[in-house]
Amino acid sequence: MPTLTFPLSRIEGHARVVIEVHGGEVVSAHFEAMEIRGFRYFVQGVPAEQMPVIVPRICGVCSTAHHVASVEALEDAYNVTPPPLGHTIRELLLLGQIIQNQATSVFLFTMPDRLGTPSLFKALEGASSEQDRAVLATRALKVRKVGTDLISLTGGQFIHPVKATVGGVTSGVAPEPASDMRQQILDALPVACELFDRYWETSFALRDRIGTWGDDGPAHYITATGDTRPNYDGQPGKDVICVLSPEGVACESFAARDFRDILTFEETDYSYAGRTSYDGEVMRANSLARINMTRSLGTPRADEYLSRFQETFGQPAHAILLFDLCRGIELVYALERAMEILEEPLDDEETAVSHTPQDGEGFGLVEAPRGPLIHHYRIEDGLIADAEFIIPTIHNNLAIERALRVAARRYITPERIDMELERAVGRVVRAFDPCIACATH
Amino acid sequence: MDGRTPEQFAVLQLSGCAGCEVALLNAGDWLDERELVYMPLVISAYDVPPVDTLLVSGGIRTDEDLHNLRRAVQQAGRVVAVGTCAISGGVASLGNRHEVREMFLAQAERRHVPRLLPKCRPIDSAVEVDLYLPGCPPTPELFMAVLREDSDFEASRTVCQECGRKKLRDMKPSHLVGFQSGEVLPDICLINQGYLCVGSSTRGGCRALCTRPGHPCVGCRGPSDVFIEKESEAWLSSIKRVFGGLTDIPEEELDQALRSPQLALFLFQFSDYARRDVEAENRPLRPKEKVL
Repeated sequence: MPTLTFPLSRIEGHARVVIEVHGGEVVSAHFEAMEIRGFRYFVQGVPAEQMPVIVPRICGVCSTAHHVASVEALEDAYNVTPPPLGHTIRELLLLGQIIQNQATSVFLFTMPDRLGTPSLFKALEGASSEQDRAVLATRALKVRKVGTDLISLTGGQFIHPVKATVGGVTSGVAPEPASDMRQQILDALPVACELFDRYWETSFALRDRIGTWGDDGPAHYITATGDTRPNYDGQPGKDVICVLSPEGVACESFAARDFRDILTFEETDYSYAGRTSYDGEVMRANSLARINMTRSLGTPRADEYLSRFQETFGQPAHAILLFDLCRGIELVYALERAMEILEEPLDDEETAVSHTPQDGEGFGLVEAPRGPLIHHYRIEDGLIADAEFIIPTIHNNLAIERALRVAARRYITPERIDMELERAVGRVVRAFDPCIACATH
Repeated sequence: MDGRTPEQFAVLQLSGCAGCEVALLNAGDWLDERELVYMPLVISAYDVPPVDTLLVSGGIRTDEDLHNLRRAVQQAGRVVAVGTCAISGGVASLGNRHEVREMFLAQAERRHVPRLLPKCRPIDSAVEVDLYLPGCPPTPELFMAVLREDSDFEASRTVCQECGRKKLRDMKPSHLVGFQSGEVLPDICLINQGYLCVGSSTRGGCRALCTRPGHPCVGCRGPSDVFIEKESEAWLSSIKRVFGGLTDIPEEELDQALRSPQLALFLFQFSDYARRDVEAENRPLRPKEKVL
């Protein structure tokens, strides 16, 4: 029985796809996460208050989401509510993460698939396009840097933020840096839109090449953002996770602390990452899930893209390569929304309240770039007795494998294996933008 | 560029968080000066080609990490260990504690994926390293100094010297209060405010990017040159001396706090630089000339 193994690149972390074929029939397609560091185990015994500094190291790409989810899990356990300005600064911090992540995924991870090149940093075929590529890479990094700078401004450290603390954030943003940041975003927005327009066009060309937007069928969707003005920092106490049916009906809504009653979690022997399902069905998290539940985003440019998307593809839309377009829409939204917030005064009120640590149980929920992220801690004698990290990527693992089986059956016949399969495997996995460091932690 | 072929570099990521790679992408200046030829995070390529510089991030956690590392260094003119994981095992080395290890290795057992090694190890326990770039992660400025082989690059000796917060002799907390008191006061030394900050012993070069906005230094850049070739007693007593001058915190409280896992993340790797025989790994000394 031949086995095809595809190493993966342009995703976060170490993973591969293994497809088993028997008599020309695809038997299975596995998405295998190949690393683990053991956070769940080694945080046991750690003083609870130190978690917000330790857990960003789960992942340097999603560190901001872990930082905030961790602080919110402790606030839930200690029964502390941060002041409004504390929340606002955290929202900016998470917007910075959305900008950085979506710019990375759209321009650095998946744009090369549209251009037919192994990387945005490698020369394209033909000399005339070399300059074009250099310009693309420079502009892509410029947009991406806006996200990083926003994370630095509101999170302190630029990769593993430190400014969110139990009870709020350590400081606000003074008017001058706020205004500089706003100007930087203002300059980057048209660049981002131009790049995204080109991405949108080249995505259509890709669709023609592979037949459809990635085949595959409808699925359930899961997200923690609402239907308008998505706030990636769900407010503690009001946090809910929603599930949308394949027909587009909201069919479930639950608090982070009830996730075990609603979702089924299982492990496999071929991956260090587990996977979840809803009522025995395949789910999808990440950008397409959010956009499928969004009526309006609430900022002008992003809403233009959103209506264009919904007119072209309907709501809910199901084709997997649409995840990539949704990331571009969210990039534009996050840039616009960050500018709105930076116009407000951000250092005129208290940013944190005092607190008294106590034992108990806490749940923190944020909508990370890849979907709802839950941190769940049990605290005894001030130490972590048990910790669970419910990572968005695991909600997508079944969906990734289903989409891979569809792609494999398209390119593998009893007569031959079409080597377009290798590129298709890459495109399918990248559409879900999985994060392996997070998924295995 | 003046028509010469730019120096080529590659990035090999072992088990880690990709934060070092993300930091490198933030240092976009290399785009015009150096050619990046291998970095799976952003380039589809199967193998490391011959390169002038190989940056290695992450620790050796699986048999595949070890294999990839040994193969890659054969292609490289110089090997740079980037970030705390590559240099000291980093956050994952919290999993090296005996009781955690047993539970972890038993529960993580799988059939078809790379095998976990007994412990997470730094890369110089397996290959020769030419330069160490500590930090979790190193800043873009530090990455550029490495790629440019910039001999003029100057970092302050310690984080404390880059921080600029004012030390007061008349504001002496009697306990480590951490963040329980709410807002952090601007401009005043975090130690005066009862935070456990180890910036006085930690290597500078990060421009104090955590302490300036109000978070105590956890020591991710490792020991400053003064302490790099000394045993743990030297920097431990130095930290305690600093606290003695600025606080009335009892020594036992400080001792206990300095041994907490958060600081163990980074602080307890300080002495690894001066020790050849760390848990029987037989890794080389790391003289300060080899550390940026």
